[in-house]
Amino acid sequence: MKLQFIGRMAATSLGLFAICTAAGVGLAFAASDVPANASGPALKPGKEYLLATNYPNNLHLIDVASDTLYKTCQMPDAFGPGAAQVAPDKKVAYVLNNHYGDIYGIELDTCKTVFHARLAFKPGEQAKSMLSLAVSPDGKELYSVANPTQILNDHYAVQAPRLQVYATDAGLNAQPLRTFEVPRQISIMQAADDGSLYMAGRDIYKLDVKTGQYSVALPTGSWKRPLYSPPDLLYIWSHQTARRDFSLLYTAAKYKDEKQDADTADFVYGYVSVDLTTGKTQVQDFAPVTEVYFTGMRSPKDPNQMFGVLNRLAKYDIKQQKLIKAANLAHSYYCISFDKAGSKLYLTGTFNDVAVYDPDSLELVANIKLPGGDMATGTAQVFTR
Amino acid sequence: MKTTRLRHYLSAGTLAMLACAVLPPAVAEDGKAILNAKCMACHTPEGNDALSRISHQRKTPEGWLMSIARMQLMYGVKISDEDRRSVVKYLADRQGLAPSETDGMRYAMERRLNTVEKFDEPLNQMCARCHSGARVALQRRPLQEWERLVEFHLGRWPSLEYQMMSRDRDWLGLARNEVAPQLAKDYPLESQAWSDWQKSKPGADALPGQWSFSGHMMTRGDVRGVMSVTHDSGDTFNIEVKGQYADGTPFNGSGSAIVYNGYEWRGNLKIGDVRMHQVFAALNGEMKGRMFETEHDERGLDFSAARQDSPRLLAVQPAFIRAGNEAELTLVGSGLSGTPDLGAGVEVVKVLESTPQLLRVKVKAAADAAPGLRNVALGALKGVDLAVYTEVAEVKVVPAYSVARIGENGGTTPKVQGRFEAEAWGKGADGQPYRIGYLPAKWTVEPFNEQARDDEDVKFAGTMQRDGVFLPAGAGPNPQRRMMANNVGNLKVIAQLEEGGLQGEGQLIVTVQRWNSPPLP
Ligand code: HEC
Ligand code: HEC
Repeated sequence: MKLQFIGRMAATSLGLFAICTAAGVGLAFAASDVPANASGPALKPGKEYLLATNYPNNLHLIDVASDTLYKTCQMPDAFGPGAAQVAPDKKVAYVLNNHYGDIYGIELDTCKTVFHARLAFKPGEQAKSMLSLAVSPDGKELYSVANPTQILNDHYAVQAPRLQVYATDAGLNAQPLRTFEVPRQISIMQAADDGSLYMAGRDIYKLDVKTGQYSVALPTGSWKRPLYSPPDLLYIWSHQTARRDFSLLYTAAKYKDEKQDADTADFVYGYVSVDLTTGKTQVQDFAPVTEVYFTGMRSPKDPNQMFGVLNRLAKYDIKQQKLIKAANLAHSYYCISFDKAGSKLYLTGTFNDVAVYDPDSLELVANIKLPGGDMATGTAQVFTR
Repeated sequence: MKTTRLRHYLSAGTLAMLACAVLPPAVAEDGKAILNAKCMACHTPEGNDALSRISHQRKTPEGWLMSIARMQLMYGVKISDEDRRSVVKYLADRQGLAPSETDGMRYAMERRLNTVEKFDEPLNQMCARCHSGARVALQRRPLQEWERLVEFHLGRWPSLEYQMMSRDRDWLGLARNEVAPQLAKDYPLESQAWSDWQKSKPGADALPGQWSFSGHMMTRGDVRGVMSVTHDSGDTFNIEVKGQYADGTPFNGSGSAIVYNGYEWRGNLKIGDVRMHQVFAALNGEMKGRMFETEHDERGLDFSAARQDSPRLLAVQPAFIRAGNEAELTLVGSGLSGTPDLGAGVEVVKVLESTPQLLRVKVKAAADAAPGLRNVALGALKGVDLAVYTEVAEVKVVPAYSVARIGENGGTTPKVQGRFEAEAWGKGADGQPYRIGYLPAKWTVEPFNEQARDDEDVKFAGTMQRDGVFLPAGAGPNPQRRMMANNVGNLKVIAQLEEGGLQGEGQLIVTVQRWNSPPLP
């Protein structure tokens, strides 16, 4: 089977990453009904929230118990991509924004901006991060990989990517504490419980944040799986899960024989994952490719169940590599997340509504309209304060 | 060798920028002065009148226009349209391409957007996946300039190396270490062709005169006539077209044209009340290229012309006859006289009309004339073929693969239509296929595959008219469609010959609008 994206994808979804341009994004947005500087109520300890961002500059917190919008904070500067990571103490969310060029720390209780780092810090450079953002397990450090380019009077000079390490208490003009040269093409990342940083690039790297030394934790760029093509990984959703699971979906061709004929090959979906508590890695196929999923997540209740979403919501039995059930959706959703118990499933991205599904029946149980515009490709995060 | 379908990159949009090209630009000295005044702020003078970057590239007029338009868009360079015309003219004349350096790549300038490109790897995936490969192949630079183009791309679009066909490789390493050196080798700044051309390129006096032309407008038929060119000033000209379609409909109009670099002819004219643009190579008493509607570049005609003092046979219209039939044929060219020799089994019954530009004859093909092509000869003039057929062996839909685009419906982007012809092929006495020509057909569309069937693409994507013109549906999400999809579709285009009923198939992708329309796809 061959994937045919011509035309169809253009109709149903944004070309992934086509929107990550330096020139910014031209999606339409509605004016927010939330007054600027409003701090809203503080979050309640022990309560579970879903965080989502959208145009023009909103950071929303949804109360998971009632599936209602709890409050909305305003973020500074321009939107894009609005990718957020929540601090381990759940008091601050760090957001990559301002056309992929700046990181902001938003204090969730007060909506105050308590941290700001501009990734470009050398004269004449531009620096963008392609969704690389992670917080250390103790909450003291923030990591991002910046792709710098020197913009000169009549030409550009692309520089080596840098891992930039910030102290989270560095305030509104944060400068990196340390920088390390890292491989190109790094996208999402997560810090493990032992403090090491896992970065997804052509391989999945494990990096020592003190020394900048890194090694390949998962050789996705050159895996040695007999009769498999190299996997294609485009996964720009850095879910922070209660299971401490850092997973990315891949697709790969599974050839019939040594001839490696793509025309007779089966295409499979799978995931690579790092258990952030133990450092254990896993590579696992879970389904034949029959449609595209932008995100996938294993159920906290039953980790043998994989849920995938884009134009449909689908549920697979991983061991059996079989579709259990699928549901049609009102429109495409990019991003999937579970509540901690695994009893509710949240779909975000694309427009400005959050669809809530029952993971067992795949029935829609609620739809939460958010003030503001498109959520685009931001990752929703579920956390317990 | 991988092939890429060009139409995917491109939009129909207007060619507003190109349309500017015909007002007479200021004289050369002004071009240089403007260049210095407008560009020196960032581009460093290097002695010998050179400016950094700018003086180390050669490209087409469209290529130069695109670079300058980019300077305006990205760096806020302020330059009036008139000054920009002068700078484009100045640079395109002095740092253009020799005619042979554009061989095989002219489709990009001619906006033949359904062209299926063929570039070798790594160029195909590295450089020809976002825009045409021709955009690259129509430039000449030294290594450093190709390298800087690579740095510009990744610096400007940091997501580039994460996209499909980039993230599976060390994109930057490959681009720096393999692609740029290869481009410098294949498309170098200095070339024999260019130095020869600079010595031999003709002046403006080579162009005025009477040009007999022939063309074929898709879905509309053959065209012929005379284009009169008179000198205006510098490299600009006034043009007047007097012609007609094969069915007698007039094809008349007038306008103006400019010539860059001795041969790159760009005309703007109105035929009836339709604005059209001409992109021709004018060389040695001949013009060749494409003429298309300014607002709808998918509607156009292949065009060739010969000047009165340059005897040539351009075409025979129509270029086919069925064995056993009598038909009227028109030979188009310049310096025509006498009776044509149409090859074995085809006899000229009567000369109906004879002018230096046009020879209309009544001919008869013998019932037992062997199927196949014959070289047509008129005195010493040759170069066109006449097909004799008894039976059509195969029908091809032309274009075999094309892209139409939804539009309008409250938006400003016009629809891009599909335009189809049924090309008949015969089988020669030698068993080899030969092209007969375009024959009348009935047109229908069907779902291309299962998914298109499930999504009811035929119902939503647009309408196929009887004349082989596909009208795409309106733009925007359609609430009646599943997932509120746009009116996109994947269709099989089916031609059934009116005579004999033989069928042929093509593929038509109906997709969303293109938002920008660069001068080169
Ligand atoms: C405000 C600064 C600025 C001005 C003024 C400017 N340029 Fe540029 N130009 C740049 C920069 C920066 C680059 C390199 C990055 C790029 O290609 O965009 C560049 C690159 C170029 C290139 C190389 C593009 C390529 O394809 O590699 C050309 C050609 C060019 N400029 C032409 C011009 C011309 C002609 C003018 C005057 C009409 C002009 N520029 C004025 C900043 C400028
Ligand atoms: C990710 C998509 C992408 C890829 C891959 C790409 N280009 Fe481009 N290129 C662009 C865009 C966007 C522009 C800007 C002009 C426009 O189309 O508006 C451009 C412009 C250009 C121009 C015109 C520059 C000017 O100033 O006029 C050239 C020449 C070019 N590209 C060559 C290349 C070459 C050579 C490669 C391979 C090394 C390449 N491109 C790969 C997207 C791409």
